[in-house]
Amino acid sequence: MTPRVLVVGELAGGHLSGASLEALGSALSLAGAASGVVGFLAGSGARAASAEFGRYGVSDLRCAEGTDYDSGPAARVAPAVVRAATDAGADTILVGGTTFGRDLIGRLAARWNAAAAAGVTELRAEGGGVRVRRPVFGGRATETRRLEGPRRVLALRPHAFPLPPEAPVEVRVSPVAVEETTAALRSAKRTAVSAVSSGSGPGLTDATIVVSGGRGLRSPENFRLIEELAQSLGAAVGASRAVTDAGWRPTSLQVGQTGKAVSPQLYVAVGISGAIQHLVGMVSSRVIVAINSDPSAPIFKVADYGIVGDLFEVVPALTAEVRRVRGL
Amino acid sequence: MEIVVCVKPVPESETRLRAASDGMSFDPEGVKFVLAGYDESAVEQALLLKEAVPGSKVHAVAFGPPPRTEEVLRAAIALGCDLATWVEGPAEPSPDPMTAARALARALGPVPHDLVLCGKQAGDDESGLVAAALGELLDIVDFGFVVDLRWDAARSCLTFRRGTEAGEEHWEAPLPAVIGLQQAWNDPRTAKLPAILKSRRAPIAKVPWTPFPPDVGRSVPEKFELPAPRTGARLIEYKTPLEAAEKLVRILREEAKVFP
Repeated sequence: MTPRVLVVGELAGGHLSGASLEALGSALSLAGAASGVVGFLAGSGARAASAEFGRYGVSDLRCAEGTDYDSGPAARVAPAVVRAATDAGADTILVGGTTFGRDLIGRLAARWNAAAAAGVTELRAEGGGVRVRRPVFGGRATETRRLEGPRRVLALRPHAFPLPPEAPVEVRVSPVAVEETTAALRSAKRTAVSAVSSGSGPGLTDATIVVSGGRGLRSPENFRLIEELAQSLGAAVGASRAVTDAGWRPTSLQVGQTGKAVSPQLYVAVGISGAIQHLVGMVSSRVIVAINSDPSAPIFKVADYGIVGDLFEVVPALTAEVRRVRGL
Repeated sequence: MEIVVCVKPVPESETRLRAASDGMSFDPEGVKFVLAGYDESAVEQALLLKEAVPGSKVHAVAFGPPPRTEEVLRAAIALGCDLATWVEGPAEPSPDPMTAARALARALGPVPHDLVLCGKQAGDDESGLVAAALGELLDIVDFGFVVDLRWDAARSCLTFRRGTEAGEEHWEAPLPAVIGLQQAWNDPRTAKLPAILKSRRAPIAKVPWTPFPPDVGRSVPEKFELPAPRTGARLIEYKTPLEAAEKLVRILREEAKVFP
């Protein structure tokens, strides 16, 4: 039996977020066909964004409309998602692993008596169930788990899955009957959103991809090469101690023994020689890439892949290539 | 304020990870377990709120096997928690986070709880499911990734911030609520020796645990893998920077599968 999958979409500027598109892509492979996938959107912009699902072949969209969902905590959306999944006959719910998605799945799994897994990097349907792989212990190990029971809810790790191919179809929108929520759920109130997170967000230590720059950049102005590459990859920016000691960037970005320990899926070290003090902070990353002009730099001993060359030529080319393949 | 703080024992961060002999899960043999890092912050935050709101009590609750679960509860008492409840769970296979959340919710039902604090996730399985699941099971609101949690006595509500993809959100929420904490106001305190000694004799309420029926979903471990030791970088051969970039991106997508 192939799973029937409900994908919870999250909108950013009226479009499905990258994390939602990745969830949609893996829902399509899990269900084997677009007919086995149902979309879900909540909020006042839901209906207007219905074509977003149609673009990737999903014709069945459930919408929970209303401004109540717009700024709400994930807790407020959960009853509508479970209602939609039950209405649609789904046995699996997929969400992108954003702050919202990760807050949501615990509620969904509890409400739906489902199995749950967060931070999933691989998944496949097997014998009516689903098997997942996910990094654990800060990326120092990987576990495989079998989700048992008739229902399951999964949050996918951002950037771990490909985007779905376009296959436009007409979308049929069905409204989701809104269930009454308790007073405590209604009275929680978001009072403000500041554009820039002051360090409390999914930062360096939580990032899936980290791009770090070192002394090889030669000047603070050149550090923008690192920031541009990081932006193209959706990565957090890190720095070696040489960079933060020189004041090119704040010490909060320092990766290493006296800075932060990171273990992302991908760590890109640019112009970093690989002093032991830096290595201890990043060696447990799953995949390490080093770009350095000195072939004898110790960073190449811990890296999986290396480019020996001039970072001022290689990094811009890499940024352009990443943008090209990601359609940015 | 009746504050509940949920705590979990996890392997010490310097632990050398090893798979059990069947290869299915982490091998806890000989490993030292400690209070999970974010849970340590949750305990600290609970104690800070207790100090700020007269008449408050902090009740530590944990689900897990002996002896490590009892040990982290004693550590929580030594830090200043007033009461402790232990839901004794099985050691093997280690229950998944949803099972833990369901077991904790069942134990919390009869326990007064205005505020339930959890670490936003534990350093071993890193699921971050428990706070949200507790919110649903206790039918109260929950928030994860919370910093700067405060009690506004004049308006009788919690205020806090949380970082999201869109930026930093500022919130107000009345009690009761579940909070998955990212960071306390200050670094977690350390217990003093007399308090540690006293905590050894402190009473801990024990609640038995019975497994949930099979139609309640759960996950079971099948494989625990460690990365292969590093043998040095595979250097990419190229003639132009463009060729280097193309080759690297192809490898990262198709072989390493680190981004789509």
